[in-house]
Amino acid sequence: MSASGQGGAPPHSGVPVNGATISVEHVGLDYRKEKEKLPVLVDVSFETHKNEFVMITGPSGCGKSTLLRIMGGLIKPTSGIVKLRDQLITKPRDEIGMVFQNFVLLPWRTSFENVMFGLASRSDLSPEEKKQRALKALDDAGLKGFESVYPGELSGGMKQRVGVARALALEPHVLLMDEPFSSLDDLTAERLRQEIYGLLINPSSPIQTVIMVSHNVEEIIELADKAIVLSARPGRVVGELKVDLPRPRNKKSEEFFNWMDKVYVLLS
Amino acid sequence: MMLALGLSIVFALAVGIWAARSKRAESVILPLLDIFQSIPILGFFPFVIGAIYGALPNAIGANLAVIILIFTSMSWNIAFGVYEAVRAIPQDYADLLNVSQASAWQRIKSLYIPASMSRIAYNTQISWAVGLFFLVASEIIAVGSATVPVYYGIGVAVASFAGTSGAVDYANYVLLVAGIIVAVVVWRFLFLREFALWSEKYKMMEEPREVHQDPIMRFYSWVNHRSISKLFLLAHDSGVTRFTSAIARFRRGLQLAVAIFVLSFLLLAAGGLAASGHLNVGSLPTLSVVASTEASALYALAVSFVRVWYVVAICVAVGVPLGIVVSLNFKLYDLATPIFEVISSIPAPILLPAIILIPVLGHAPEAVAAVVITLSIFWYIVFNVMAGVRTLPADMKDLPKVFSARRVSAWRNVYLPSALTGLVTGTITAVGGAWNALIIAEYFQLDPTQPALSQVPVGIGKMITIATNQGNYLTLTLAVVSMTVLIVTFNLTVWRRVYHHATKRYSYNR
Repeated sequence: MSASGQGGAPPHSGVPVNGATISVEHVGLDYRKEKEKLPVLVDVSFETHKNEFVMITGPSGCGKSTLLRIMGGLIKPTSGIVKLRDQLITKPRDEIGMVFQNFVLLPWRTSFENVMFGLASRSDLSPEEKKQRALKALDDAGLKGFESVYPGELSGGMKQRVGVARALALEPHVLLMDEPFSSLDDLTAERLRQEIYGLLINPSSPIQTVIMVSHNVEEIIELADKAIVLSARPGRVVGELKVDLPRPRNKKSEEFFNWMDKVYVLLS
Repeated sequence: MMLALGLSIVFALAVGIWAARSKRAESVILPLLDIFQSIPILGFFPFVIGAIYGALPNAIGANLAVIILIFTSMSWNIAFGVYEAVRAIPQDYADLLNVSQASAWQRIKSLYIPASMSRIAYNTQISWAVGLFFLVASEIIAVGSATVPVYYGIGVAVASFAGTSGAVDYANYVLLVAGIIVAVVVWRFLFLREFALWSEKYKMMEEPREVHQDPIMRFYSWVNHRSISKLFLLAHDSGVTRFTSAIARFRRGLQLAVAIFVLSFLLLAAGGLAASGHLNVGSLPTLSVVASTEASALYALAVSFVRVWYVVAICVAVGVPLGIVVSLNFKLYDLATPIFEVISSIPAPILLPAIILIPVLGHAPEAVAAVVITLSIFWYIVFNVMAGVRTLPADMKDLPKVFSARRVSAWRNVYLPSALTGLVTGTITAVGGAWNALIIAEYFQLDPTQPALSQVPVGIGKMITIATNQGNYLTLTLAVVSMTVLIVTFNLTVWRRVYHHATKRYSYNR
C-alpha cells in the first residue's frame, strides 16, 4: 500500500508464517531534544499470533502508544524492526488497522464519508464496492441508520464505533487500538469490549490479532490472551504474561484477581 | 509606538476581561469591538488629526495624533484575544478560585492575566506590524496634506525619497529600507519574541510530544547564554510572580489614568474642532451638492469594492496552499517562518517608492494598487491559515498516512477543511486591512504642486486622500462615512454568518 498515489494493491493472503502475525524484534526509539538523546523504548521484543488478543500496558509515559505507532508503520524505530508475518513494516498498510483513543474523525464529514475516506486509497475496488464495504463496516460496528450523521451529533461510544468501522472497512488482519475505550463510560466500554472480542474469534471476520494499549488492569485481564508489561521510561519489557483463564472470564473470581495482582506487581 | 502598545494592552485587558466575565457587558462590548475593528482607521485619521492638531497646533499634537491612531489600530485586536483567552479558560480553574475564595484582584492576577498572556503576546506581534503600518502611512498622509508638519518619522523619510531620481538618492533609499528591516528584525528578537516566549509559560494545554526546536530558537538560546537579555531572564525564573503582581498593582492607577485621558481627549477634540473653525455652522452645504458628492462617493466605493475583493481572492488562492504546505512539513516550517516573519514586519508603505519605480508597474497604477494591498494583507491570511492547521491534533495529521490516502483526498478531506476557520478569520482581517490600504494604494502624491506619482482612475481611497489634501471636509466626511457604513454592515451581516457556520461545522472539537 503506497501513500504516494499509486493506489492499493490487494492484501496479503493472510496465512501467518511461523504462526506469528506481528513480530517486534529489538525495537528501540530515541527522541532527540536539543543535543540530548532521550531513549523512549529500549530493546522491545515479542510476538503475536493468530486469534490472540494482546494487551500492552505500563506506567504513564512508558512509550506504549509510541510502540503501537511503530507497529502501525507511522513511526520509524531508531533500532530494531517490526514484521507482519514475513514482511517488514515501514509504513502503514491495509492489513493493519488503527483505532485511536480520541476517535480522530473528520468533524466535517458524515459517518459514511469518514469510513469512505479510509477506503479512498483502494483503487482496485470500484466505487460501488467501496460503498458496500463502508455500509457493511458501519453495520458491523453497530451503526446501521447513522450513516448520514456528523460526528458532532454522535455520542462518544458511537464516535468510537465509527473509528472501528473505518478500520474494519479495509478488512485488516491486525487491529491496533490505542486506549480506545478510556474516553467512554463503563457500560458503553464494556459493550464495545465484547464486540471487539467477538470480531476476533468470529471465523468470518478477517481480524486475526488484536493489539490494544490499556491502562485499565481489569480490562487487561478481561480481554488478554497475552499481556506485555513495559517499565517506566525508557520502556523495556518487564513481563510477558500468558493469561490462560477460561472464557467467559468471571471478573469476580479469585483467579481473576490473582492475575490482576500479577500485572500490578509488574507495573510497580 | 511603545506608548501606544502599553496603552493598548492595558485597555485590552480591562475590556476583554470585563466582556468575558459579565454577560451584559459582553453583549455590548463585543459588537462595539466588532464595529471598531471594522472601521477603516485611515479614513478617520484626517478627523483625528484635525481635532488634535486644532487643539495643539504643534509637533506634540501631530505626534499625539499619530500615537492615538496607532493605539486604535492595535487595541481591538488584543482585546479580542484577551476575551477569547479568558472565555477559553476551563471551568475548573474558575471553580478552583471560587473554592479558595480568591479576591477579584487575585483572580485577575493569577488567572486572567496569565491566561491571556500568550494571546496578548501573539497578537502583539501582529498588532505591532499593524501599528507600524499605520505609523508610516499616517506620516505619509500627514506629509502629503501639507497642513500638518510631522517632522520626525520613518514615513517622512520615505516620502521624501519618492519622486527623486538621483543615484545618490536611490542608494540612500535602499540603505533606509535595509536599516528599517534590520531594526525590525532586531526588535523582533529582543522584545517581541522574548515576550511571546515568556508567555508560553502560561499556555493552558501541553501536549506531550517531542519538543520541536526551530533554528530561531536555537540561535536565541545561544544569544541568551551570553546574557544579552538578562533582564528578561529574571522574569523567566524568579521574577514572574513579581512581574504579574506589579502589573496588578499598577492596574488600578492606570485604569484611572486611562479614563482621565479619554475624557480629556474628547474635550480637547471638541474644543479643537470648534477653535480651528471647522465646525462652522453657518456654512452648511446645499442638499444638491451633498447628493452629487454622495453619488460620486458611492460610485468610487463600488469600484474599490471590486478592487478589494479581487486582490483578496488572489491572496487567498496563493496564501492558503502556501500556509498549509508550510505548516505540515516541519523542516519547511522552520525555514520559512522566520523569513515570513521578517517580510511581514516590513510595513508596506515603506516600499511604495520602490514599487512605483519598477518600470513595468510605473505605468499601471491598478497594478501598483494591487501590489500595495497584497503586501499589506497577504500575511494575515497566511499566518491565520498556519495557525488553524497547527491546532490540528497530531493524530489528525497522521490520518492520511494511516489510510494511505492520495494527496488529492488528503487535501480535500483533511487539510483544506482544517484550514477553513483560520482562513475565515484571516480573510476578515485581510479585507479590513485592504480597505485601509486602499487609502495609500490608490493615490500617492508627495508634492502638492506636482501631479500624483500613482493614482487609479477611480477609487474611494483616492477620493479620501484628495479630499484630505484639499481640506475638502464635505467630500471627506461623506466618503468616509459611506465607506464605514458599507464595511460595518458587511461585517455584521455577511461575516458574522460565515464565521458562525465555519466554526460550527469545521472547527475541531472532540
